[in-house]
Amino acid sequence: MTLSSAGTPTQYAVELQGCTKQFSTPGGGTYFAVRDIDLKVEPGRFVSIVGPTGSGKSTILNMAAGLLKPSSGTASSFGAPVHGVNRRASYMFQQDALLPWKTVIENVSLGLTMAGVGKAEAHSEAQRWLEKVGLKNFADRYPHQLSGGMRKRTAVAQAWIVNPDILLMDEPFSALDVQTRQIMENELLALWQESGKAVVFITHDLDEAIALSDEVVILGAGPGSTVVGNYEITIPRPRDLLDIRDDPKFVELHREIWGRLKIEVSKTYEAARAEEGEVA
Amino acid sequence: MTVLNSRKALKPAPGEGTTAARARRRNGTSDGMMRVYQLVLAAVVLGAWELLGRAGIIDEFFFPLPSDILATVWSWISTGYVFPHLWITMQEALLAFAVGTAAGLFLGFLLARVRFLERLFDPFLQMFNALPRVVLAPIFLLWFGLGIWSKVAFGFTLVFFIVFFNTLEGVKNVDRVLVDNARMLGASEKQLLRHVFIPSALTWIFSSLHISVGFAITGAVVGEYLGASAGVGYAIAQAQGVFDTQGVFAGMFILMIVVLIIDLLVNRLERYLLRWRPVQSS
Ligand SMILES: Nc1ncnc2c1ncn2[C@@H]1O[C@H](COP(=O)(O)OP(=O)(O)OP(=O)(O)O)[C@@H](O)[C@H]1O
Ligand SMILES: [Mg+2]
Repeated sequence: MTLSSAGTPTQYAVELQGCTKQFSTPGGGTYFAVRDIDLKVEPGRFVSIVGPTGSGKSTILNMAAGLLKPSSGTASSFGAPVHGVNRRASYMFQQDALLPWKTVIENVSLGLTMAGVGKAEAHSEAQRWLEKVGLKNFADRYPHQLSGGMRKRTAVAQAWIVNPDILLMDEPFSALDVQTRQIMENELLALWQESGKAVVFITHDLDEAIALSDEVVILGAGPGSTVVGNYEITIPRPRDLLDIRDDPKFVELHREIWGRLKIEVSKTYEAARAEEGEVA
Repeated sequence: MTVLNSRKALKPAPGEGTTAARARRRNGTSDGMMRVYQLVLAAVVLGAWELLGRAGIIDEFFFPLPSDILATVWSWISTGYVFPHLWITMQEALLAFAVGTAAGLFLGFLLARVRFLERLFDPFLQMFNALPRVVLAPIFLLWFGLGIWSKVAFGFTLVFFIVFFNTLEGVKNVDRVLVDNARMLGASEKQLLRHVFIPSALTWIFSSLHISVGFAITGAVVGEYLGASAGVGYAIAQAQGVFDTQGVFAGMFILMIVVLIIDLLVNRLERYLLRWRPVQSS
């Protein structure tokens, strides 16, 4: 982790210390999803977590959000331990999480109306956000009437409208086609830049992680995975996402990080194969 | 009367009607033509019945002629004889439906949200639900008398369990991620109920609504049949007492029409409240 200015103790937007999460399995045993996770995210930083499937990325995010209690270790946010849901964070879920019975504008304004903002005001604010994410003509649609990319953009607006200090994003763009995805990544960076918000971004796409982040955290293969690598991404900002993959710095970082990630990915693959062999 | 096991909650079938309509159209028959065929079918069946009755092949005493039944229906309506009875039955059904639905919703939401209570009450609810409800009618007659309240109580026991089990299932089947999302957006327990649990349970509640409306009326009529001084069930029992099969059929016919109309209204309401649901194309 980088040193912060002149020795003052840093208030991390998200801080996990020695967090372990175990689940009980249907067979009666326990399954360690993640073990001894240390994660520190300073305000204003963009941190990506990359790891093979099933390595516990969503679990980590859920602990940071306060939706899951760590089995041991502590999760804190801005110096205070997380009790219940983390009120300073917004969460973009891996799955579709828009309320299907609310229109786009009702979904986007939900965070405001539930906080007691008047409906008219909340809707005009929501309309501003819909314009930002390019959905101003779709305010009255229901989620099932949108494309997958439009639903994701609605979710972005829904998460950002409450002006959170922390944004937790769980593979928000992984279901999108390459072009849409690049547009969304650009939009995300534009929104985030200078916003001072901390972003924890989960992806299994290393390119995406390097292109967007200040820091990339590599998670080992499960079960009981833990942080196996931590890389500072020093590519200057603002970044041009369209050409960044040709940037020599990007190429170098990619080679270095992929060398580490590859080991974990193949471990996961081997484990899956071994399991298959056992079953057969 | 059949006592359905109301625990077996009905899965909501999204956009059922529309899908059926599409399938019909694909098979080359338009909705309008199908209506014509349906009318023809009804006319053929009723006509055959009428002819067989007139020819003396089926016994007119047990199966009165459709024309006689319609004449009786008309005389019940034109003389106004049936309306006070219908009014009583509707009152009973409406009360049973309202109280049963309210109690079913309340307890369904409560038990779905409080795991302890669900586990506590589960065996008792199962026991009461297993009880064939008709056997309660005599005891309700003793407790509540011949007036409307014994029928309301009887209808209540039918409606309550259907609504209750469907609400319970509906709330428990809410997509976890929707709840998490709402909580992350700052929802309080009350707001969760309003924005997530109730709308989500609505599909389940509606699928039970058609049945529970029918059961509310069934409860009222059966209750009246077993002992009352007014109501359509009572009118049917009266007709039966003097071997007036035309009267029995006329009562049945009138009830059928009334239930159809009510079901149509429920459909309208359902389509409005569940308009957010995707129309599934098969
Ligand atoms: N509620 C649960 N009960 C039991 N096991 C769970 C539960 N939630 C997650 N797990 C297990 O914990 C591990 C990590 O799950 P998690 O969802 O965090 O993975 P992930 O890294 O987000 O994977 P993906 O990239 O596929 O989304 C998995 O092996 C999963 O089976
Ligand atoms: Mg995940």
